[in-house]
Amino acid sequence: MDPKVTEATQLFGRFKAAIVRNDFPTSTNLLSQLKVMLTGFKSLPPLFEDTPSSVHELTLARDIYEHAVILSVEMEDQDAFERDFFQLKPYYTDVGGRIPPSPQEYPILGLNLLRLLVQNRIAEFHTELELLSSAALENPCIKHAVELEQSFMEGAYNRVLIARQTVPHDTYVYFMDLLAKTVRDEIAGCSEKAYDYLSIQDARQMLLFTSDKELSEYINEEHPEWEIKNGFVYFQKAKEVAPSKEIPSLQLINQTLSYARELERIV
Amino acid sequence: MVQDVEMKDQTTPPNSISSAVPLEIQQTAAVVASLKDIAALIETGAYAKEVRRIARAVRLTVALRKKLTNSVINGFLDFALGPSSEARARLAAYVAKDDEHGMEVDTATSGGQSSSKHLLPEIEIYCHLLVLIFLIDQKQFKQAKAFSSASIARLKSLNRRTVDVLASRLYFYYSHSYEVTGDLAEIRGNLLALHRIATLRHDELGQETLLNLLLRNYLHYNLYDQAEKLRSKAPRFEAHSNHQFCRYLFYLGKIRTIQLEYTDAKEALLQAARKAPVSARGFRIQCNKWAVLVRLLLGEIPERTIFMQRGMEKALRPYFELTNAVRIGDLELFRTVAEKFATTFNTDRTHNLIVRLRHNVIRTGLRNISISYSRISLVDVAKKLRLDSANPVADAENIVAKAIRDGAIDATLDHANGWMVSKETGDIYSTNEPQMAFNSRIAFCLNMHNEAVRALRFPPNTHKEKESAEKRRERQQQEQELAKHIAEEEDDDF
Repeated sequence: MDPKVTEATQLFGRFKAAIVRNDFPTSTNLLSQLKVMLTGFKSLPPLFEDTPSSVHELTLARDIYEHAVILSVEMEDQDAFERDFFQLKPYYTDVGGRIPPSPQEYPILGLNLLRLLVQNRIAEFHTELELLSSAALENPCIKHAVELEQSFMEGAYNRVLIARQTVPHDTYVYFMDLLAKTVRDEIAGCSEKAYDYLSIQDARQMLLFTSDKELSEYINEEHPEWEIKNGFVYFQKAKEVAPSKEIPSLQLINQTLSYARELERIV
Repeated sequence: MVQDVEMKDQTTPPNSISSAVPLEIQQTAAVVASLKDIAALIETGAYAKEVRRIARAVRLTVALRKKLTNSVINGFLDFALGPSSEARARLAAYVAKDDEHGMEVDTATSGGQSSSKHLLPEIEIYCHLLVLIFLIDQKQFKQAKAFSSASIARLKSLNRRTVDVLASRLYFYYSHSYEVTGDLAEIRGNLLALHRIATLRHDELGQETLLNLLLRNYLHYNLYDQAEKLRSKAPRFEAHSNHQFCRYLFYLGKIRTIQLEYTDAKEALLQAARKAPVSARGFRIQCNKWAVLVRLLLGEIPERTIFMQRGMEKALRPYFELTNAVRIGDLELFRTVAEKFATTFNTDRTHNLIVRLRHNVIRTGLRNISISYSRISLVDVAKKLRLDSANPVADAENIVAKAIRDGAIDATLDHANGWMVSKETGDIYSTNEPQMAFNSRIAFCLNMHNEAVRALRFPPNTHKEKESAEKRRERQQQEQELAKHIAEEEDDDF
């Protein structure tokens, strides 16, 4: 075997061990070395040259990037996730049957969908969705994300929260926690418009807080305009559209003059 | 997708050598003669550098399309390129040798007039185009693929503005032959290179055509991200061809729909459907399908007339029933329709959009409830919406809350009592609202008028010199021909 491939494989072994030990500094360090090494292989995207060891190299590179993605989730680094995922993506979409599909493919694609959802990048979410086959959409990992998006759009937030208990993969928990925060903000936004007031107890339940103290901290921080009075939370109502008391004469004159000008031009 | 529909009515049954030999020869001779006229037209166009004439030549060719046979092609090639020239030899490999009758025509017509003269690149490319169209019409797609690649390679070495019109047609058939054989991904790099060349040479028609082909190529594989990136960065200019512009609008509409920019998408799709020629039925059906979905997603209900357009009732039927389900706001009905026509929606690749619609069905249902009841308990709301989940009441409460925030309904929730109170709709005429609506409509009409005036075209030099009687005759004749062939061209293009 090519000595470079052997070297990369060995380094990859150490990288995996570092991830298992949760030794983040070492693993990021090793990952950068691995990425530099991968640039030397000609069989990888975008060149896709047919070398004798290309199958091995492709599989290795895909493995490395898959681990990199998982590592970025564990380190809770969303930017790194995005970078690594985009590097990984060609191995799923463009290899054209050179290597067998990876068992990690759907979990990672689902994870990416979830990330887009958390970051509220719905347009990209749907763009990614179009790329998936109908078989892929049936996969539990993908389906999970798709259903989440639907519940989210509908406003069935409690379904989103229940989904946290049924995550198809351990790595999903990080994003689900983030999603819970987004959901709280959404619920707060909706309640503000939908209710005149809520009892503190109901508000606490709805906004998923365990104690009244957390609730009041949250209100102070995010919605200082809400008012807590006699055990109730009062939301500030947006001003209603008032019936116009007077005729906006200046505006009307302007409009009429412009009509006259335009008509003059036509006739 | 669109192409498939189109092609069906274009392809002619392979011309059989019938028993009526003399008639056959006569016909062949007539077609070859008209092709020669076209060649002469291209020649004048090339010398006078008048792109217009070449465009006309292409239109005339399309009219002859159904009459092309092996012997016609061979006869014409011998005439145009000379029987023994190098260019002729390159083409010979792709056109089957003649039957005996054809040969007679050849010798009779070509007779020493052509072989020695200098070969124009326009004529050569025209021959390429002719052969390619012929191969596609004969359904020899493998051959067409190989041949079109060879033609494109030849084309790259030419840089003449008068070739551009022919080249853009050639690109189109090039991509088409690859699409039919299902190898569209292969030529993506090549198309990108061609687009770059066209841009560098300021060949706007070529750019337009190639951009559309690229978008089509990306969308064929659902690569919306790449398509949008290319589209937003490619240079834009005033459209040269109505057909290309229609296509562009359609692709743009599709991209926008996927990216949830429904208002823009609707505008693009409706415009595409309106601008497309009447004969392009397949294309218009596609536009209408997408436009219907986008309007539903926007919360609008398309009018019944859209589904009753002539020749489209059947194709739009699934979408009509879908609209109906959304209009009523019945989740159960929506689910049945979606399942019933699942195969149609899958082939149209609109399945994901329909999944998105679920949310709109709930909204409409909710709006109906809010209009009919001034106060209703959330339990009843959940029942009426037929929400099937573990905790329908909590779901209903959240859904209603979100609908209120998004402005879909005007109501308040009472959590303690568990009901929804609809607000009285105030007297809208006591506000400035109607006046503003009226103003925006007037502005729209005035703007439309101004744009129409601006779009009027005045022929140059009309005020300078009176055209001579002869010139006028020529012009009128040309106009007539143009009018006659525009319909045929549209037939061909879509």
